Amino acid sequence: MTLEPSAGQTAGPAAPFAEGRRGARRHALRRAPLGFTPLAVVALAFLTLPVIGLVVRAPWREIPHDLVQPGVLTALRLSLVCSVSAVALSCLVGVPLAWVFARVPFRGRTVARALVMLPMVMPPVVGGVALLLAYGRSGLVGESLYRWFGITIPFTTTAAVLAETFVAMPFLVITVEAGLRSLGQRYEDAAATLGAGRWTTFRRVTLPLVAPTLGAGAALCWARALGEFGATITFAGNLPGSTQTMPLAVYVALQNDQGAAIALSLVMLAVSLAVLVALRGRWLGGH
Amino acid sequence: MSLQAEVALRLGTLALDAALSLDDGEVACLLGPNGAGKTTLLRALAGLDRLDRGRVVLDGEVLDEPAAGRHVPTEHRRIGVMFQDYRLFPHLSALENVAFGLRARGVPRAEARRLAATWLERVGLGEELAARPRTLSGGQAQRVALARALVASPRLLLLDEPLAALDAGARPALRRELRRHLSAYDGSTLIVTHDPLEAMTLAERLVVLEDGVVTQAGSPEQVRAHPRSRYVAELVGLNLFRGVRDGDAVLLPGGERIVVAERDTGWREVFVVVHPRVVALYRERPEGSPRNVWAGAAEGLEVAGDRVRVQVSGPVPLMAEVTPAAVAALHLDEGGPIWASVKATEVDVYPA
Repeated sequence: MTLEPSAGQTAGPAAPFAEGRRGARRHALRRAPLGFTPLAVVALAFLTLPVIGLVVRAPWREIPHDLVQPGVLTALRLSLVCSVSAVALSCLVGVPLAWVFARVPFRGRTVARALVMLPMVMPPVVGGVALLLAYGRSGLVGESLYRWFGITIPFTTTAAVLAETFVAMPFLVITVEAGLRSLGQRYEDAAATLGAGRWTTFRRVTLPLVAPTLGAGAALCWARALGEFGATITFAGNLPGSTQTMPLAVYVALQNDQGAAIALSLVMLAVSLAVLVALRGRWLGGH
Repeated sequence: MSLQAEVALRLGTLALDAALSLDDGEVACLLGPNGAGKTTLLRALAGLDRLDRGRVVLDGEVLDEPAAGRHVPTEHRRIGVMFQDYRLFPHLSALENVAFGLRARGVPRAEARRLAATWLERVGLGEELAARPRTLSGGQAQRVALARALVASPRLLLLDEPLAALDAGARPALRRELRRHLSAYDGSTLIVTHDPLEAMTLAERLVVLEDGVVTQAGSPEQVRAHPRSRYVAELVGLNLFRGVRDGDAVLLPGGERIVVAERDTGWREVFVVVHPRVVALYRERPEGSPRNVWAGAAEGLEVAGDRVRVQVSGPVPLMAEVTPAAVAALHLDEGGPIWASVKATEVDVYPA
């Protein structure tokens, strides 16, 4: 096919071919609705400036010293323990839930799924209040726990783990459920015809095939658990050493020891970036 | 009897209600158009779909009986299934795929791998033991799937369109190979297919399933000679009519009559089969001995080897088989009104 620009006509459509990517980009920008380009630039700046600011303004030379302060190390260790526990707990009960959602068409499944997704959308501090009303000393379940076993949950490390699990598990459940749905029952049927029982099928067929999705769900779950603030401070409190996780420590440190606050923030920023890289293309549909 | 099954279940718009039985070692083909319920029936026999009503018995063991509340789960049935899309486990090698059924049933790992390797050599894939399914060709994947289904010595082998996913060029060789393995296999086999060639060449017994019900069952020769539905007639290339005996003829629903040579032996509702090659075509109304002469129009031509099939429309719609020379002589390619005649002695009649 040849395009011969006649007299007076610019070689419009031929430009992308002639100038390659640059031409294609210019051509595409020209098609943007009026005002979109500057607005897009504003949005990009707004979203990237804070991160750039954090990295640029950080007192890099003091960071190593700030990081090894006992308060900081305690918060780091606590966050690690709580977030990993939250992921473990989420996997333990969340994967079976995801399986049931994906494979068992029970009545009320739609409602159940909506309720499970609620913690993802709910304001975290509201989640904390709800947790108190469920597991606090006068709570739905907490009352019995205290009366019969003398167990108190709020304002303990356990509470921090539960708060993080509450907000993070839905991510795991939704991701794994989607993975199981897209996998379908084909291989599980085939395994059954070969004599594999339900557990054998899950262990040797389903789990290996859904493992990448499970990994992505767990990474997402971990990132969310690590960063949880509102539910943790409301349900577990802000007790250094037992419930003061990294986000809470940053908030407190900001008043007196900015260095520590920035150091912790950078650590969490690094973790977020690592998770993004690990999940590229899968959850975020990135290019 | 090795397998006796009465299966009734509803799936979406399909109402399946079929009975079938297999002798020990028999190879039967379940033949039917798409949507007839063949795969549904196969899945029901495998235990993957629940019956509404009915009974499935294999080698004397009741596998399914809803009325008695009995349902043996798929994994406890001694069956082997080859799915249309093979379903080889993508994360396992060919050897591990074939060994899977043995290991799932408790065979120690080394022994299972040894048996699997033997089977893979038997199907000609001794060099591909460590290959992942995605690196295998269609024909190779098919053979691995077959080996995987057979390795644990099932009592019943269920094959769902075993050759459908292959290129037309690869099919004849794999069909011969499949035939060879099936004759060496001592259990019963049920092959689901929509391909009449597969059915005719692989089956000792044909069961025709249409719209969820069995319309015909018998040997391939019986089914070929005496079709009992439009679907089968078209498949084997015969003209089929259904009507009522009326003296020396058969009365068709539209009012037309086909004169037949056979005496009335008391059958009331009958099928009439007319082979296309006994249909003669004329441009003028013929005067002669044939008792059956009908007016019609030449609608379509289809080349079939060194013959031509002519679709004749009219009160008695027919497919006629003539030579290309005849087509030229009568200008049949131009369509238009023609006359068709069939001798009564060439018409086959059997009870409906």
